[in-house]
Amino acid sequence: MKEEKRKTSGQEFFSSRWALIIATIGIAVGTGNIWRFSRIVAQNGGGSFLIPWVIFLLIWSVPLIIAEFAIGKSTRLGPVGALAKTAGKNFAWMGAFVVFVSTAIMFYYSIVTGWCLRYFFSAVSGNLFNTKDQLAYWNEFSTGLQPLIFHFISISLVAFIIYRGVTKGIEKVTKFLVPSLLGILVILFVRAVTLPGAIDGIKYFFTPDLKTVLDYKVWLNALTQNAWDTGAGWGLILTYAIYMKKKEDISLNAALIGFGNNTVSLLAGITIFSTVFALSSVDAMQQISQSGPANTGLTFIYLPQLFAKISGSYAVNIFFASIFFIALFFAAVTSLMSMVELSTRTLIDFGLKRSKAIIIVAVAGFLFGVPSALNLDFFANQDWVWGVGLILSGAFISFSIIRYGVDKFRTEIINGAGSDVKIGKWFNFVIAVLIPLQVVVLIAWWLISSVGWDPEWWNPFHSLNTGTVLFQWAVVLGAFILLNKVMYKQIFERDKQ
Amino acid sequence: MNIFTILTAVVVLGIVWGGLTFFLTRAMKYEKMKSENGEK
Repeated sequence: MKEEKRKTSGQEFFSSRWALIIATIGIAVGTGNIWRFSRIVAQNGGGSFLIPWVIFLLIWSVPLIIAEFAIGKSTRLGPVGALAKTAGKNFAWMGAFVVFVSTAIMFYYSIVTGWCLRYFFSAVSGNLFNTKDQLAYWNEFSTGLQPLIFHFISISLVAFIIYRGVTKGIEKVTKFLVPSLLGILVILFVRAVTLPGAIDGIKYFFTPDLKTVLDYKVWLNALTQNAWDTGAGWGLILTYAIYMKKKEDISLNAALIGFGNNTVSLLAGITIFSTVFALSSVDAMQQISQSGPANTGLTFIYLPQLFAKISGSYAVNIFFASIFFIALFFAAVTSLMSMVELSTRTLIDFGLKRSKAIIIVAVAGFLFGVPSALNLDFFANQDWVWGVGLILSGAFISFSIIRYGVDKFRTEIINGAGSDVKIGKWFNFVIAVLIPLQVVVLIAWWLISSVGWDPEWWNPFHSLNTGTVLFQWAVVLGAFILLNKVMYKQIFERDKQ
Repeated sequence: MNIFTILTAVVVLGIVWGGLTFFLTRAMKYEKMKSENGEK
């Protein structure tokens, strides 16, 4: 395909629709599609979970992806400037919160990326199968200095890709990594469903329990999974949309991202359920649904045990374990790239050159990731605080459209230049009513649930409770509200000064 | 395999994988049209 690079006042664009879609699929498909999805399905009654999960794809993920594409394409700014331009100059702080949440996740996601790379090397070298106690193997690795080294490798590698820019960096790399990831998942899928006994896993995966379908917790978990694993509402898709051409469609591309992401989740879910039910000698359900340390139990402790039994051949087992962990690494790298690009783009909007911005982001990314690399409790705290924060980010994006005028936004921006498919009035109802309703219900549920986990639920210095979430949010929101005017001036009135 | 399992599999895979195939086909059609009209 001929690489096209257009420049409009230094602005790069994705060379084609497919380049944009592949890069955005790379954002959406992350490690959560592979390990979190299977665990949540197992904990929420298999088929009973899948029904609400599909419904929330339609009333949370796809509308928010449409919204992010439209805001990024129309404003050509990262979340701080984009939300200020859409909602009004008093709301730059909302965009700053969106950036902060994704950046805070980037700090520890780089560590997850490093874990995947380290386990790939362990699998290739055969080390992974030379140990009998996988839990001890994981504990030895995760409590040492190795996570720090692999964190450094991950953030440096991704920073280099982002430094190369949109077409030579993001586009070139995702064009290789995303199809490779999908190819590997298909190979693993075919192997898994052809294992003797795999059918029991597939049966559980799709069998609904009518009592569980009516359980409100299953619905809330389904909404949370959509909020966390499609990338909708994170500000990442908004950032990539800055680089889509003016005559590029929004709604059809957004649908492709949402459905493509959930397709990968189904592929991974069927693969894992088939593998675990076919090869596990103990309770398969217990193995899938257990969280393990930092929710990594299934991936880093139980699956390596199963890969060792996938065939009678040592080499074949190494092959399947290696391609599984390299697929996880590819999924993590393409998502991490978008987080680093979001932070970089924000600094560019504030007036920095890309080369300078990426150095600042990479150094900060490494330094602020160190506590999570060395301490899994700190890691879990950050995952909890900013994971719930993502739901608030989604609310801010929805709020900015409401302030702009939902119908005006739909008709002028989404259905404007380049649109292949026109979006109907249903979008107004989803953005103005359903998304805010889902946000309120979801945040209230998570915070109320967490009160039950910790008697001192108000204590901000505990790892997983309501107090730590509200405290950290308050500090960040307070700082950004105070800095609102400064941020707005720096982006929009810099040239006048 | 009971009827509810088959029904859930058909509905979930039909919507998600079927939806992806549908949108992919539409996108390819529009790209072809744009290419024929000399827009790209």
